[in-house]
Amino acid sequence: MKPQTKVGILFLVALVAVVAFGYALGTFSFLASGKELRVAYNFAGGIEVGSPVRVMGIKVGKVRSIDFQPDFKMPTSGEEVKLIISISIDKAAWPTIRQDSRFYINLAGVIGEKFLEISPGSLENPELQPGQVVRGEDPPRIDQLISQSYAVAGKILEFVNKNEGSVIETINTLNKLVVNFEKMLKQLEKTSRDPEIHKLVKNLSVILEDGAYFTQNMRSSEAQKTIALINRLIQRLEPLDGKAIKKFLQEEGIKAKLF
Amino acid sequence: MINLWKDFAVYFWRSLNAILTPPYRPKDIFAQLEFVSWQSIPIICFCVCSAAIVTIIESSFHMKLVVQNDSLVPGFAALLILRELGVVVSSLLLTSRVGAGLAAEVGSMQVTEQIDALRMLGIDPIRFLVVPRFIACVFGGIILSVIANLVCLYCAMLVSEMKMGYSNGMFITSMRAFVEFKDLVFAGVKGACFGAVIPLVSCFFGFRCQSGAEGVGLATTNSVVAASVSIIVLDFVLSYLFSFLY
Repeated sequence: MKPQTKVGILFLVALVAVVAFGYALGTFSFLASGKELRVAYNFAGGIEVGSPVRVMGIKVGKVRSIDFQPDFKMPTSGEEVKLIISISIDKAAWPTIRQDSRFYINLAGVIGEKFLEISPGSLENPELQPGQVVRGEDPPRIDQLISQSYAVAGKILEFVNKNEGSVIETINTLNKLVVNFEKMLKQLEKTSRDPEIHKLVKNLSVILEDGAYFTQNMRSSEAQKTIALINRLIQRLEPLDGKAIKKFLQEEGIKAKLF
Repeated sequence: MINLWKDFAVYFWRSLNAILTPPYRPKDIFAQLEFVSWQSIPIICFCVCSAAIVTIIESSFHMKLVVQNDSLVPGFAALLILRELGVVVSSLLLTSRVGAGLAAEVGSMQVTEQIDALRMLGIDPIRFLVVPRFIACVFGGIILSVIANLVCLYCAMLVSEMKMGYSNGMFITSMRAFVEFKDLVFAGVKGACFGAVIPLVSCFFGFRCQSGAEGVGLATTNSVVAASVSIIVLDFVLSYLFSFLY
């Protein structure tokens, strides 16, 4: 074999290997049979050219380009959207994408690979037109949340710095309060061990027992009858005021029968 | 030492002039290209495959030790292979195989006064000896670095399937998260630069060869050492420059 042939073979092998590598990485695609769609975002959450596009979790295309368009407005709503992401979608998956499909930017895997997820639309809605601009769902701004929490933390710090004297005073007062509370608890503990207190508690217990016995007796039928009798007596004595007694004593005298 | 650098600067300038101006000798270039690339392929493929196996196994071991998980190994092993391992290993092998051969060949010609004979015939020895080898090594370096990288990656893919149980699809998906096409392009550029260093350094030491078998041996040794060190230093410079392009 001539050296030229050998070198030629090697060159071709290298060329094929480069093309295969580019195809595996998604840099080249031989069957560009996809349809293009333009998705508008105001925040794209780190998506890149070449990131996969998925419908129902299946890869159906990739991000072709990312364009900044400062003066773009959505044709339907008139909303200002400044970022247009062009994506290609396989023809097979195209009919599942409808007017009511939603376009999310998601994370996958432990390394946080970004991808564009399309939710399938319902059959009642018409299919999208190739090249149509649709509004994507802006992903949540984690960085913004973090920066906001930093701002809150900063304000707390600022408040503490500004009111350093009063904060320290409050803390000192709280400290004193705790110390006093502890003292009180100790005193209470000491007191509970006093024999006099023990006696007092015992007496109280006896009184309470007696009280319980009394109230128990009060609930008996005999006691109920007595209470009812007293009640009736009181009712009968109710109209008995100063005048009536005077009249009674003057008119009836001591001969009067009480009942 | 200063004389050595002065001589190298003159030699480099003359070589550059000869390289950039025709005529070229295609037959000689292809013969050298066959020697550099075709004949080096088996040994380079064997060595980079071994390097790939070691890379995958060691990375997996370290990742399991540190984060109890080796799912990221295919991705960053692929990146390591493409950015450094494939091209540096193949270039160092090329230095020891081709560089030593060139230094010995030119050194023997110098000792046996064949270089002087060429001058007497009105032939510029640099144009006659260095230019075809330079062109062959540059193109050979590109071809070999590309093939070595992709063979190394393929071997890494096989090893990660057999050793760690990651399927080919998982390997490629993980690789796509880290690797870009320009990594291979930069590997090709590095291969070309390393390929250029080998004949320049080897022929320089060959031209400076002292008389006797001992002189040829010394020239060969010096050329391999100097070319290896140059490749490692150049690798650092190129890696630093390419870091601005990411």
